[in-house]
Amino acid sequence: MGKIRRLVLDVLKPHQPTIIEWARQLSDLEGIDAVNVNVYEIDQKVENVKVTVQGRDISYDRILEVIKENGGSLHSIDEVVGGALIIDESITLQDHLRTGS
Amino acid sequence: MSPLRRWLQQLREYEDIAEVGEIARRYFAMNAFDGILTMIGVLVGNYSAGVESARVVISTGLATSMAIGVSGLWGAYFTESAERKRDLDDLESYTLTDLNETKIGRASRAAAIVVSLVDGFAPFLAALVVLSPFFLTSLWGNIYHSYYLSLVVALGALFALGAFLGAISRENMALMGVKMIGAGLLAMVLGYLLRLVE
Repeated sequence: MGKIRRLVLDVLKPHQPTIIEWARQLSDLEGIDAVNVNVYEIDQKVENVKVTVQGRDISYDRILEVIKENGGSLHSIDEVVGGALIIDESITLQDHLRTGS
Repeated sequence: MSPLRRWLQQLREYEDIAEVGEIARRYFAMNAFDGILTMIGVLVGNYSAGVESARVVISTGLATSMAIGVSGLWGAYFTESAERKRDLDDLESYTLTDLNETKIGRASRAAAIVVSLVDGFAPFLAALVVLSPFFLTSLWGNIYHSYYLSLVVALGALFALGAFLGAISRENMALMGVKMIGAGLLAMVLGYLLRLVE
């Protein structure tokens, strides 16, 4: 079965546990080599974070468990990369038209 | 990881999430203070009534300290549980998820238990310390020595509590200790004045 190598998730979480704790717990999961948790919006009680995980074989279910256990709620899955290599999205003509570059 | 280490780590995590330390410290100081002052009241009352049996002083003191302990335990548990449940409900309205079975929900429940234990045991232990000379009355044979010693112990405990609060607030520890002694002396004087009313 194909392996997930990178996941980018948009998550709403309470301020506690902190993103430090989140990064620690996510990086403890098997098959994960790197974690990036980035806050992009802060509210009075909650914050929106972009969670990027990269590894050899990422288990989406285990990541979801960590998110739920820490009181987070998954808003969207913004990027998934699978397979033997990690590739970024290709720039197409439509992207140029959209950005005007 | 050993079970004890895991338990300690979990407790530390809960402390970070639910901020148990600060509130437990507050309850400890507040209720130890209550325990000491209540015991001063019991001692001055017994002294004014001319009670000369260490057993009577110990049993009234212990019964009172247990009642304060139970009151602290119950009162703090239900108050803290209610407050924390409200906070959790409030947070759930933001995350739109059930947080009860998450780390946050468990930390919140653990916090209510820890805080109520502190709230119950602080006055009980403080009262026991004040009462301790009466357990040794047979050593010096005179109950009035136990009364005086107990009152001195009570003032000493108040000073220590004041110094503890001084250390927390980074103020002058000795001055805070003396301020706390002031409350003890006031309780003693008021209790003693009852003699004049009788």
